[in-house]
Amino acid sequence: MLAVKDLSVTYQNNKVLNGFNLNLEQGDIFALLGDSGSGKSSALRFIAGLDNADNGRVELDGRQLSVSGKHQITPELREVGMVFQDYALFPHMNVEKNITFGISNQPKSEQQARVKELLSLIGLKGIEKKYPHQLSGGEQQRVALARALAPSPKLLLLDEPFSSLDKNHRNQLVSQVRSILKKAQVTSILVTHDEDEANALADKVGTIQNKQLTIK
Amino acid sequence: MNVKALILSTVIFSVLTVSSITAVQAVSNDSVTVYSSRKEHLIKPLFEVFTKDTGIKVDYLTGKGGALIERLKLEGASTQADMFMTVDAGNLWYAGSQDLFQSVQTETIKSNIPSHLRDPNGLWTGLSIRARTIVYSTQRVNPSDLSTYADLATNKWKGRLCLRTSKKIYTKSLAASVIYNHGEDKAGDIVSGWVNNLAATPNAKDSHVMNAILAGQCDVGLVNTYYFGRLLSKNPNAPLKLFWANQDTTGVHVNVSGAGITKHASNVAGATKLLEWLSSAKAQAIYGSLNKEYPANQNIASDEVVSAWGSFKQDDMNLAQAGILQAKAVRLMQIKGYK
Amino acid sequence: MEKNCFKSKIWISFLALLVAMPIFVVALSWLFPEHELWAHFSQTLLPSLIGSTAILLVGVGVGVTLLGTILAYLVVMVEFPGRQWLEWALFLPFAIPAYVLAFVYLGVFDYSGYAQVWMREVLGLPGFDIRAGSWAIILTFVLVFYPYVYMMARASFKRQKINMIEAGKLLGASPLRVFFKISLPLARPAAAAGLLVTLMETLADFGVVSLFNYDTFTTAIYSAWGDFRSIEVAAQLASLLVLVAFFLIYFEKKARGQAKYYSADVSNKKPYHATGVVGWLIALFVFGVFMLSFAMPMLQLVIWGWESVGEEWSAKYIDLIASTSTLTIAAALITVGIATVLALPGHCKQDSLWLKGVIRLATLGYALPGSVMAVGLLYGINQISAINMYFGGESINHIIFGSIALLLFAYVSRFMAIAYSSIEASAQQIKPVFTQSAQLLGASRLRLIWQVYLPMMTPGILAGGLLVAVDVMKELPATYLLRPFGWDTLAIQVYELSAEGLYERAAVPALIMVVFGSILMLIFQGLDKKSSKTS
Repeated sequence: MLAVKDLSVTYQNNKVLNGFNLNLEQGDIFALLGDSGSGKSSALRFIAGLDNADNGRVELDGRQLSVSGKHQITPELREVGMVFQDYALFPHMNVEKNITFGISNQPKSEQQARVKELLSLIGLKGIEKKYPHQLSGGEQQRVALARALAPSPKLLLLDEPFSSLDKNHRNQLVSQVRSILKKAQVTSILVTHDEDEANALADKVGTIQNKQLTIK
Repeated sequence: MNVKALILSTVIFSVLTVSSITAVQAVSNDSVTVYSSRKEHLIKPLFEVFTKDTGIKVDYLTGKGGALIERLKLEGASTQADMFMTVDAGNLWYAGSQDLFQSVQTETIKSNIPSHLRDPNGLWTGLSIRARTIVYSTQRVNPSDLSTYADLATNKWKGRLCLRTSKKIYTKSLAASVIYNHGEDKAGDIVSGWVNNLAATPNAKDSHVMNAILAGQCDVGLVNTYYFGRLLSKNPNAPLKLFWANQDTTGVHVNVSGAGITKHASNVAGATKLLEWLSSAKAQAIYGSLNKEYPANQNIASDEVVSAWGSFKQDDMNLAQAGILQAKAVRLMQIKGYK
Repeated sequence: MEKNCFKSKIWISFLALLVAMPIFVVALSWLFPEHELWAHFSQTLLPSLIGSTAILLVGVGVGVTLLGTILAYLVVMVEFPGRQWLEWALFLPFAIPAYVLAFVYLGVFDYSGYAQVWMREVLGLPGFDIRAGSWAIILTFVLVFYPYVYMMARASFKRQKINMIEAGKLLGASPLRVFFKISLPLARPAAAAGLLVTLMETLADFGVVSLFNYDTFTTAIYSAWGDFRSIEVAAQLASLLVLVAFFLIYFEKKARGQAKYYSADVSNKKPYHATGVVGWLIALFVFGVFMLSFAMPMLQLVIWGWESVGEEWSAKYIDLIASTSTLTIAAALITVGIATVLALPGHCKQDSLWLKGVIRLATLGYALPGSVMAVGLLYGINQISAINMYFGGESINHIIFGSIALLLFAYVSRFMAIAYSSIEASAQQIKPVFTQSAQLLGASRLRLIWQVYLPMMTPGILAGGLLVAVDVMKELPATYLLRPFGWDTLAIQVYELSAEGLYERAAVPALIMVVFGSILMLIFQGLDKKSSKTS
């Protein structure tokens, strides 16, 4: 389903990844564990097509996304969703507008149905008209998840999505997110530095050692 | 809460800044202070000669005529100005009507400047004559087709005429003279005719009018002669010529630049001396040649360049009329859509 | 708390109302109605003036908004060839006074200008009257004033989170969709502030419109004053301009609504890379704007200046430069000082409609033509004298008239809007949590101001100061009327020469101004770079 081959990344003049390989099956939830600066976010951003790399290939669902560290397909067309560390919700749009942003080419009625479906999936019904600043951190995070899921991406990337939430809240949310991802049956990669979080959310956990991936 | 401290420091700081730079050059008592709407480069050389001749220093402040009049009015008795110098009889007349001048009629001035260029009550004195007449392309216009200002409103000039904006005081005075010579109704038709004949939106400056003729946008225009003089000094072979308008009728429209001694002048003697000196042959020669104008002192000859354009008959309309009729003229031009 | 608010209300009101004095004087003119002249104007000038002013405002507004935001977006969000130097070069046109640009454009593009002569003689195209209609003057204003919008929008784009754009991309949005749906709406308050300044400047302009002989509202103001000697009607007309400005501000505020976006994620990463043909096309477009708005006019000025520098240059230029810089620096310092006090965050201001109102009033002077502002001040002082004399005192006219203080007052009144909008924008970046946390730590208001607010507002204060300085340097009508003896400025020299059609000689002082202005803009740019690095 997803194959990342021979990824090499230089970050701030440091080779952080060299010969990184990763293979995931449909519906896998994978956690990539590592300290800050270990290159885990770089790997994620390369898969998303946001940053280039020294070398590396990405194949998703039979499509060549990137070859030799260069992107063949732009982020816009990759069918990859991402939840950012700070959620990056659009502050000038309400929840509904945020979620429908990625599916604006669909008919209005379908969009609305999809919003309803996703809001019930994340357990936040009736907040369509609220603005991001009116939501709590955890709510924002789930809306960001719903927004990323809306276009039914083939792959979902989560970049430290729990890091700005408090500990108690976090445990509860991690299991909630896991069930959402499972229900949506979407292949996912979580990047985190928290081992408990990685174990609670993912089916498979890997760490970066010697600039390469080691699966536990 | 201490916005106060911050505000205080701002205020103290501002006061310090202001006072430290308000070391205003004190205007000394024996100098003459002039408010002038004649531009600096036209009066400074003149005042320098005056100071050399008499030892009297001249301080001056340039500005727009209307704005300076407003400032004089508001300053009242506290004004520093001993003399107000401006262009256009309308401005002089208005300053006089606002009681800004005092009457000064010395024998020297009377003998130097003919009476029709002075205020009847001696409030102001004309110092140079400026003629506003027709300029034409020697390539596209036969001078025998030209005659009067009114003629430029006839159909044969359709699409061939360039004019300066009606917002400029010279245009207003000319329109005032047209009203004076033809009456308001006829003047309205003439202004309409001009507007109909325009080849382009009225220009901001006389020099633009001449450039437009040179470029072929139009064939004839109306300009003050000294602008033509300036053009010639840069481009002696320009295919343009002046035509003296209304020679068989009322004569070329003339205007003056001039000066008066302010009502609240603190140095009347010095200012009078300056005014007398300005009317003298020596000053008149400089005054005229600096800007290619005609001297108001009839005893001296015009500048060489200026004389080459030939002599002409002047409109003998009393110049105060230009002031009196100006508001009417503007109204008329606004009604007729002369921009 | 109550007492605190009372005191700060008094102080802020005092400062704001003082700055707004010319507005009051202008408004008081309605006590002297002149029906006859109004009847004449409403039959002749006004109907067409309102139309032509509206066309100008709409055209200039749309133009600067499009050009300013597109340029800002390109230099902030897109990597293209030459981007780095074009980013700062686009600030430079701000250093050219509008009337100078106008006479250069007319000299080049009017019927007799070389561009048209070349078109007619080489290309055989028909000539045209560039001053007919309104497109040329709109274009001129757009090229002079786009830096206002560019500057503000650019700062706003720089603060936008890159993540947000990346999120947009991953959701499949094209660059255009990202621009229109995400970046532009978020930059709207900033762009609107720039637009507002532009529109007020356009409303008050007299130099450009008179060179193009395009009638706007100021035409009627000057006609009332100059032709019909009615300073009252002139002031009444001018007060209508202020009213228009007030509505513009109101609509801008209303349109902005309650939305508050705090974000300060200054990053130099470009989400888009334009390579190949697209990159070069973008570079060509941006470079073209720079050419037209700065390089070409500069070249023309240099050519003119070269021809006439021998004739024009003299020792008096030392004085001109000295007085121009003194006025510029003093006015910028005072304006910024007062604007900072007005813009400081505070709970008193939050809750007080009155304070918000008087502060607004203090920024309206920008819509007054400079000479109306100047005469308003003279009248105001004269009234104070009259009151003083009524109570047995003396007239203060002779102390105030023709003093530096009065001229500086005029500058402060006129350019408060520029300083305030820049400083307020940076004050708005201060999240309430900073205030709250500082207060919880027991900081007094003064410490809060010195240690929290002022450091955070510094970029806005510096930017505001530099912009005011450039504006003061270019200012003509108020300086011309109010300056003391011996305080001629470069702008006055430019005007006196160009008014007589002596453009070649006028190019000399104009070039000096543009050079000084460019230096100021480069300092502005340098500060901007520094502040974006440290935050």
